[in-house]
Amino acid sequence: MPTAKDLRTLGDREVVALAKAGKEAAYRELLSRYERPVFSLIYRMVRDRALAEDLAQETFIKVLNALDSYRPEFKFSSWIFKIANNAAIDQLRKRELDTLSLDGAPGARTAEEVEATALQAVDRTESPLAELEARELGGEIEQAIGKLRPEYRTAILLRHVEGRAYEEIAEVMDLPLGTVKTYIHRARLELREYLAHLRT
Amino acid sequence: MDKQLDTGDLDLTVLRELTALRSFAPSRGFSGRVMAQVRLPQPAAVVLFRRAGAWVMQPRRAVTLATAYAASFVIALRLAVPWLETHAATLKLGAAWVGTQLGALFNTVAMSAADWAVQSGVAHAVREAASSGIVVPALATLTIGYAVGGYGFYALLKTPGRSDALARS
Repeated sequence: MPTAKDLRTLGDREVVALAKAGKEAAYRELLSRYERPVFSLIYRMVRDRALAEDLAQETFIKVLNALDSYRPEFKFSSWIFKIANNAAIDQLRKRELDTLSLDGAPGARTAEEVEATALQAVDRTESPLAELEARELGGEIEQAIGKLRPEYRTAILLRHVEGRAYEEIAEVMDLPLGTVKTYIHRARLELREYLAHLRT
Repeated sequence: MDKQLDTGDLDLTVLRELTALRSFAPSRGFSGRVMAQVRLPQPAAVVLFRRAGAWVMQPRRAVTLATAYAASFVIALRLAVPWLETHAATLKLGAAWVGTQLGALFNTVAMSAADWAVQSGVAHAVREAASSGIVVPALATLTIGYAVGGYGFYALLKTPGRSDALARS
C-alpha cells in the first residue's frame, strides 16, 4: 500500500484509481492537491470567504462521492474545476436574481460606468469578515478581476493564475477553444482598461 | 509611440500581477469536514451484504420472508416425518454401526496413548512428581506467573490516553 509520500509522486489518474479502490489516503491526497486551487477559484469568483468555503466543500463532496463516474480519458483537474466553476456560476446567477446586478448595467464599458450603474442592493455595512476580505482581496488587480464578467473571470483565472492550458479551460467551461481565447483576450483588455490609472 | 510603450508595459504588468496572485487556503478543518461527508468505497461482499440486509429489512419483505420460511419449514417437516417413520429400522441399524465404529476407533487411540505413556517413561515421571509434592507449588507458580504476565502485557499496551493500543489498531 503506497504511503502519503508515495502518493505525492503519483499522477492524478493513479491517485484516483487508488481512491476508487477504497484507499482513504488517496482521497486525502486529492483533497490536499486541489483544496487551494479550487477554493481560490471559487473565492475569486464569488468574493465571499464563507460562501466560497461552502461551495468548495460542496464541490469536493460531489467529486469525491462520484469518483466512480469519473472517466480517466479526461483530466481530473478539468473535472473538478468544471464542477467548482459551475457551483460558483450558479451562485452568482442566484445572487444576481436576489440582488439584481452588482456589476453595473450590461452596457457599461468603463470602470466608471460600471461604478455609476452598479446597484448597491446588498448590505454595505462593513463586517469584520468583509474588512478582512477587503484586505485579502485588496490589490488593484484583485479588484479589477472582480469587475470582469464571470465567464471572463473564470477564463483569466484558470489561464493566468492556475496556469491551465487553453484546451483544458475550454473543457472546464464547455466552450469552443476559439471562444476561450477570445474571452481571455477580452478579459486582458478589460483588465488593462481598469488598471489604466496605474499607467506611468 | 509613448502610449504604445506604456500600454505594452501595462500588459506585462497585468500578466505579471496575475501570475503572482497568491492562492487562498480554506479555513482549518476543511479537509476533515469534507472527509466526514465522503462515502469511502467498501468491499463488494460488504456492499452486497448490506444491500441484502436493507432489502430484507423492509417491513413487507421481512413479513413475506418470515412467512415463506415458516411455510417451507412446515412443508419440510411434513415430508421428512413420514420418510423417517418408513426408514426407522434402516436408520437405527446405520446409527448403531456408526456408533460401534467410533467406539472402536476411540479405544484404539486411547490404548495407543496409554502404551506410549508407559513406554516413554512419561507415566513414571508424573507418578514420581506427584509423590514428591512438587506439582501443587509448580501449578501455583505457573498460575501466578500467568496472571502477572497478563497484567504486565495489559499495562504495557495501555496508552496514556487510557485507550487500548490493541483496540486502536
